[in-house]
Amino acid sequence: MLDTRARARFTRNRSGVAGTVIVAALVVFALVGPLIASHGPLESDFLHGVASDDMPVGPSALFPFGADRIFRDVFARLAVAGRLSLLIAVSATLIASTIGAVVGIVAGYYEGKRFARIIDVDGILMRCVDVMLAFPFLLLVMAIGAALERTSAVTIFVILGVTGWLSIARVLRAKTMQVRSLEYVVASRALGQPAAWVMLKHVLPNVAGPLVVSATVLVAQMIVADSVLSYLGVGISPPTPTWGRMLFEGQDYLVTSPWLVVAPGLAILLAVWGFNMLGEGLRDALDPHEG
Amino acid sequence: MRSILTRADAVAPALVVAAVALLAAPLGCDKGLPSPITGQHEGDPTPRQGGTLRLASFADLRGGLDPAVDLDGLSLGAIHLMFAGLVDYDEHARIVPDLAEHWDVDDGGRTYRFFLRTGVTMHDGSELAADDVKRSVERALHPSTPDSNATYFTNLAGYEAYAAGKAGHLEGVTVEGRYVIAFHLTKPDATFPYLVALHTLRPTCKSAGDRYSDTWLPCGAGPFKLLDGGWQRGTRLRLVRHEGYFRPGLPHLDAVEWTFNMKALAQRVRFENGELDIARELTQADTSRFAADPRWAELGVVEFDARIYGESMNTRMAPFDNVEIRRAVAAAIDRDHYVLLQPTRMSALYQALPRTIADVDPSFPAQRYDYAAALEHMRKAGYPYDPTTDTGGWPQPIDYLMYDQGIPALSSQLLQQDLAKIGLRLRLKMVSWAAFLALQERPDGAAMSQGNWMMDYPDPSTIFDKLFTTDAIAPDGSSNTAFYSNPRFDDLIAQAHLEMDPSVRRTLYREANAILCDEAPWAFTFGYHLFDVRQPYVHGFVAHPVWPLDVSGVWVDRGDAGWKDALGGGLR
Repeated sequence: MLDTRARARFTRNRSGVAGTVIVAALVVFALVGPLIASHGPLESDFLHGVASDDMPVGPSALFPFGADRIFRDVFARLAVAGRLSLLIAVSATLIASTIGAVVGIVAGYYEGKRFARIIDVDGILMRCVDVMLAFPFLLLVMAIGAALERTSAVTIFVILGVTGWLSIARVLRAKTMQVRSLEYVVASRALGQPAAWVMLKHVLPNVAGPLVVSATVLVAQMIVADSVLSYLGVGISPPTPTWGRMLFEGQDYLVTSPWLVVAPGLAILLAVWGFNMLGEGLRDALDPHEG
Repeated sequence: MRSILTRADAVAPALVVAAVALLAAPLGCDKGLPSPITGQHEGDPTPRQGGTLRLASFADLRGGLDPAVDLDGLSLGAIHLMFAGLVDYDEHARIVPDLAEHWDVDDGGRTYRFFLRTGVTMHDGSELAADDVKRSVERALHPSTPDSNATYFTNLAGYEAYAAGKAGHLEGVTVEGRYVIAFHLTKPDATFPYLVALHTLRPTCKSAGDRYSDTWLPCGAGPFKLLDGGWQRGTRLRLVRHEGYFRPGLPHLDAVEWTFNMKALAQRVRFENGELDIARELTQADTSRFAADPRWAELGVVEFDARIYGESMNTRMAPFDNVEIRRAVAAAIDRDHYVLLQPTRMSALYQALPRTIADVDPSFPAQRYDYAAALEHMRKAGYPYDPTTDTGGWPQPIDYLMYDQGIPALSSQLLQQDLAKIGLRLRLKMVSWAAFLALQERPDGAAMSQGNWMMDYPDPSTIFDKLFTTDAIAPDGSSNTAFYSNPRFDDLIAQAHLEMDPSVRRTLYREANAILCDEAPWAFTFGYHLFDVRQPYVHGFVAHPVWPLDVSGVWVDRGDAGWKDALGGGLR
């Protein structure tokens, strides 16, 4: 994906490098954290987790990020929640990117053309996008989440994925409209290659850069969306930890046990920040003119 | 692309600031509590007239201000100030005369006759008479009244015909003179005075009419009255002193004012600034801070346990149709752990009755945490569980119905941990509050869920009748959420209603309570009470064992000096 020049531009980009470091650190924390935690993420410790005033204990060697309201290890829960958040965000982004890429490339490729003089594929697809954009994204996702009897990680990332592809479709449509007029694409069509082949072989590789950049930024948006769903109680059911849920459960304790809010809040902040900066770096590396 | 991405260089500093603020803000918030605001005449116990008592709530008056309908706790507090009853509960939860000077019981407990005080002036200036009581009772129990507490009064003679619309008046309520009203029952009922003390039958002004209407300006004979415009729904309620109140010298206050829909955090800040006089809905974290601060601790008021909580097990659904499984659950729950969720508000509950009316005999066979016994009950149930290998137990996951508010969101997770240790694996099923109620009250709606009940009056029947008798089972909207049925238990409760001797009734209730503890349709978990904090200039504020709020004897001594101190040297 990144050629030598692009790689060089990326490594010179401080935002991109910082984003990579943050994302890598989060991934390592999510993978290794539960293994080194002193407690399981679902396990209350009434012996060591309760302070003398009956409140949860603060950060200590045994509880590096303190204990939560039912005296579980915030460190272990944060790490497990990180796994889940990253898994949901990346999976949802893959779904959204796939749908968005298909819709965007097809719409862009057929822009201005009508099948049987009537059917305007681009018009139909883009009006569908417009209609879906008219719905507030989080409201739509919450409505679907609330309608489901039981939510799991799979249902959450499918919901986010099938509702989150709109911006990618628009971006790729615009890019496809540029690419389709390039000489080698025109030549391929003139040689009688099927449209699907032309889109797959010639258009997709040329729009891959914007797709990757959009997808990277979309991961950040998905992390926020997942956290919002959990915060509002339509995400994954407890006791499974999620960052949004941890934020919700800790909010009443902001003054007395600030770690309950600071830890998940910081995790969300860093994840969003990291993926956004990584996306910025990739954009500057892959498309310096746009940058 | 530019429309999606923002420049990281511009975003980064903002995010850094946000991160630092996130870290620093809570730490900076905890500056400790301010000093209480002292009164103008500190140490002088003479009650002072005047002033407004300012209160707040995160909720709104969902139940409205009509005593005839079923009310939430917030509405009940205001109703109690506006509507006096024939009898009331004193500070020890005993029945005492109020609008009635006295009463007698006749016909072997089938007739209760109340003799009204003369010269009681209602809010509209009219004098209370027995006709008003009869009209108010018929208005409250008329079938057109929505969500009434009518089921408590089915024992009144002629109730069935009246409720069915076959009779224009309630035969069992008779006016026997301008100031004498009699209630005739179909069978003796020792709990009837408690029912008369409820808000439901409290006399209303003639303007209330003889049928319920929500356009009526609430009007009664209580110490405070509502003026036109005094209630802005969702915003505030202001009740002013009823100058014609029949108890001389009361109330002391000019007015009581509530602000609604105020978050707990805002309530705490306003209370600290002296903009609220009593804080009743502090978060657990704030409650702990006030309780731990010696300047504030003595200003805290621990209310009575009026509400009980338990884990309701549907006795018609597997695995809880097996009494040994239910016994195992009751023995596996460590109630002391539950209490740690809100130590200043929760107290461990080992039996069906809250502390206010509980059987305090230490020999009473209550439900206790006993892990070994819980495992033994699992073995007797036919599902032995080996904790060392995590094998055995009930083979399928059990759905636990819950809603995502307050205590249940956390206590359900503790329950899940406790029951996993005996081989019962709960799967938490989170639904909305409305869906929770609908499912919990259906025979096949939920295998297990959290039950809670606020006692309506201080007698065990308020809990036993509604939660555990066969009569309380309904195909929809069942208050017996365990769908528990035991003929012996039903018989004991029926006998207790007929029994006029308090000591015999206590014995009957004790046996009934013991049956519940043993057969465990609920695993009783905790009782719940509020912890209020008042400013030092608020006097006479005490917890009431029945009413959620009783400020009828409160007086305030708020001086300018206190205000200036609170506001940093001058009014802003």
